[in-house]
Amino acid sequence: MNPSGRPSSLVAALAIARRDLLEFVRDRRTLVITLLLPMATYPILALATALGLRTATQEIEARTAPAPIHLGLSGPEAPQFAALVQRTLATTPRSEQAGWPADVALADVSAADAESLLDRGAIDVWIITRPGLVAELRSKGTVHIPVRVSARRPASVALREQFLAFVRTLGGDVARDRVAAAGLPTTLLEPIDVVFEGDPEAGPPPLEHNVVSTLAGGVLVLLTVLTLTGAFYPAIDAIAGEKERGTIETLLIAPCRISDIVFGKFLGVLAITLATLVANVVSIAATAAVAVRYLPQGVVAALPDGALAVAVIATVLAFCGMAAVAAATCLAVTTASKSGKEAQNTLTPVILLVSAVAGSALLPGVHAGPLLAAVPFAGQVFVARSALGTGAEQPADGITVATAVAVSLLSSVAVTWLLLQLTALTLADEDVLFRGPDVAGAPLHRPARRQRPNAVQALLPLVAGFAGLWYTQGVVPADLRWAIPVQQVLAVLAPLAVVAWWQRVDMCETFALCWPETGGGVRAANLTGIVVGAILLGGGLFLLGAAVLLGVQDGATSAETRQLSSRLVALIQARPRWLAWVLIALVPAVCEELLFRGWVLSGLHGRLQLPRGAWAAVGIQAAAFALFHLLPERMPQTFVLGLVLGALVVVTRSLLPAVVCHLAHNSMPVAILALAGDVPGLAGAVEAGDSSAEMLPNWIVFAAAGAAAAGICLVAIGVRPWKRHREHLL
Amino acid sequence: MPPEPTIDVAELVKHYRASDGTVIRAVNGVSLSVDAGEMVGLLGANGAGKTTTLRMLATLLEPTAGTARVAGCDIRHDPVGVRRRLGYVSATTGVADRLSAREIFTSFGRLHGIPAETLPHRVETLLAQLDLEGCADRPAGRLSSGQRQRISLGRALVHAPPALVLDEPTNALDVIGARDLLELLGRLRGEGHAILLSTHRLHEIENRCDRFVIIHGGRVVAAGTRDSLVAEWIPNGEGELEDAFFAAIRSRTAIPETLP
Repeated sequence: MNPSGRPSSLVAALAIARRDLLEFVRDRRTLVITLLLPMATYPILALATALGLRTATQEIEARTAPAPIHLGLSGPEAPQFAALVQRTLATTPRSEQAGWPADVALADVSAADAESLLDRGAIDVWIITRPGLVAELRSKGTVHIPVRVSARRPASVALREQFLAFVRTLGGDVARDRVAAAGLPTTLLEPIDVVFEGDPEAGPPPLEHNVVSTLAGGVLVLLTVLTLTGAFYPAIDAIAGEKERGTIETLLIAPCRISDIVFGKFLGVLAITLATLVANVVSIAATAAVAVRYLPQGVVAALPDGALAVAVIATVLAFCGMAAVAAATCLAVTTASKSGKEAQNTLTPVILLVSAVAGSALLPGVHAGPLLAAVPFAGQVFVARSALGTGAEQPADGITVATAVAVSLLSSVAVTWLLLQLTALTLADEDVLFRGPDVAGAPLHRPARRQRPNAVQALLPLVAGFAGLWYTQGVVPADLRWAIPVQQVLAVLAPLAVVAWWQRVDMCETFALCWPETGGGVRAANLTGIVVGAILLGGGLFLLGAAVLLGVQDGATSAETRQLSSRLVALIQARPRWLAWVLIALVPAVCEELLFRGWVLSGLHGRLQLPRGAWAAVGIQAAAFALFHLLPERMPQTFVLGLVLGALVVVTRSLLPAVVCHLAHNSMPVAILALAGDVPGLAGAVEAGDSSAEMLPNWIVFAAAGAAAAGICLVAIGVRPWKRHREHLL
Repeated sequence: MPPEPTIDVAELVKHYRASDGTVIRAVNGVSLSVDAGEMVGLLGANGAGKTTTLRMLATLLEPTAGTARVAGCDIRHDPVGVRRRLGYVSATTGVADRLSAREIFTSFGRLHGIPAETLPHRVETLLAQLDLEGCADRPAGRLSSGQRQRISLGRALVHAPPALVLDEPTNALDVIGARDLLELLGRLRGEGHAILLSTHRLHEIENRCDRFVIIHGGRVVAAGTRDSLVAEWIPNGEGELEDAFFAAIRSRTAIPETLP
């Protein structure tokens, strides 16, 4: 019983990869997905497409090809009109008969029989010649000739167009008769004659449509989907499957590092994914070789001269990188799952999302550039499509295909490494490894009463809030007096209330609905200090944010921001002033604090553990708070405000200081305009972008910084965090 | 100076934080030891902390406090060393259905760094030891529960560890399978392995283990041989191990403890 040795990382990873591969290849699902599906998909799709194209083209050709037309003539001048038609048929050179029917057959019909002849298809059109028609043709300006077609068997559009083309030639002959009768030369009607010099036999090259570029996008996206599908089952089997079978623990107690296990799993999944890719590429190549025979005439699928090798190499390299990213993505996503079913449920939407990203390569106007080439999944499609479309010599948006391939490969390596690190972290997480079945996440499952929401539940009202914010844009009234409360209710309060009720959390614990925790001294004085500090901090932050915004942008704000600012100014200047304060300051301060510093921070804080998790939670909720305000140029300011408000809650363990601080922050514009009095035309000036850093004198900025610093000091003195144990602080 | 026990657990503590923020004290200061050539039964009701204790021993969970040593290696400071010296069969341990016993033993032998030239011999020895020669090359998914459990045990033994930890190994087995497995464990004890196994099927191991440790609410409430436990916990000193077990756990309050 001597202890065994410790294998090197590579040996351990290879041992795991070998074991997994053995399992994968004995799984019928894997074999079907890896080999059978690609082998069957492309031939069926390609042949169906090619045959469909061919049939459609043939049908179009059949419908538009010249066909004989049967003219039925009746009336007293039918013979004379027939003579005119015969003359045109006899005298018009073949080269000028473009668009004509294949033949024009004339038949003398009686008016009584004509209708039935039309309906039976014996004649296609029926022309009724009235007395004096031929004389009119010789002298009158425009002569109207009634032409009847069958209502039951209408002539095709192509036949009508061919008939009209013939009639135009007939009209030309009649016009020449008129000119000649007037004693003028008929060349009056042919003022220009074009003669092709050089090689008169050399015509234009045959019209061809190259479908490589069109088909490449679709095939590459399909290749992406099938590459992901190749990684799908092995990745599920590799970790979630092991958990379901109860074999993952046996691996985790092997004498190697978690990263070795993950790398071994990755190698196994990658091998299957690459096998899928190879099967796909072989199937595409074989199918393409066969399918080109079925392309309709005039349609070709050809690469530029000498581009085939480059295109194949670039595509294979880029997609090898994609196979690695696909394998790592599927592993990372499924590692948190407890069972194969749970992993499928998690991975399926990811696959759809990734396919949509890859599908962006099909959008018009998108070309491979250095940045796009680095985007996982879309980048590889861009690169391969670029290579197939342009070849190596021609740059794609300023970079060569070789550079794009290199960027894509480097990006793939980096993304794969990051995903494997994430997988290792997730796999080692005790909560993930040993938690129970995923019943808590079932739809309409109302959990047991709890103190605080978890991280996922923390994000639920945020998602609903963002959706509410987005959809209410189109329905909220333009008047801010209605728009603000409607948006705050629909995007903040309503989702929050529903989720909070459903999750059965402790409201006081979750929303920190309590007085701030003070540290020593006179409690009332400390509380007063915290509240005053929060007011100073909020007011100071508003002015500092405004100064930074004005200084950085120097009046160059976006139209949306200027429009919103001008509407806010107009709202504040309108009476009553208190209503503006309620709408701009009070309602958002209460609603947004309940959502971001109450629900979201509490949920993330509890899940992310102490002590660093608290600050991570503060950062995440601040980022969400910034995004929630939608205007990109205001996001840095709202992010900092979110950080400060979150820190206030963490330090004071109460929502009250954050509400007061937010209230003070939002009250500042109302207070400033109230103090400044009514400035005529201010709203218009703001909308016109007539603002600059000079609007805020330096002394105000310094005073604001001083107020913020004093606020921090007052809060700190009130809480005295240095007197608390570290764990209790956070 | 007496030799150090092969498995030596000292004041192991494990606290979990639930999703609602409460702290659950799953294991709250468990101490025990197992010498070489000894088989110790870890007894406790569901949720008593048996599995958590064994998972910490197997380095699958990190202790909140306390530590343990396996053949001289500390689970906190040398987890890889512990894994090289410990064979672990968990309650949920299954075997790969699509692999045969020979393939499973071989792959884990590679993972434990057994040289390629000695690995086949080691695998053959294990197959013979576990009476799996007749089905060595059949996929494990087609074997009986008893055979699969023996494969699981063989996988834990492939690197010849001095310590063996089994979490409720007879749970999925019928009477015959359970008896075969326990007899096998008895032979391994005779070969010098230190064996710690948890179970709540007391009658199966009453006469097979050298000592017993009873845990309840994450704490050790009683420990000793069968006779000493009966003498300590049953008033007239006569009865079954099960009677002593009930008496011991009734002396403690409900589990697990939670903290806000």
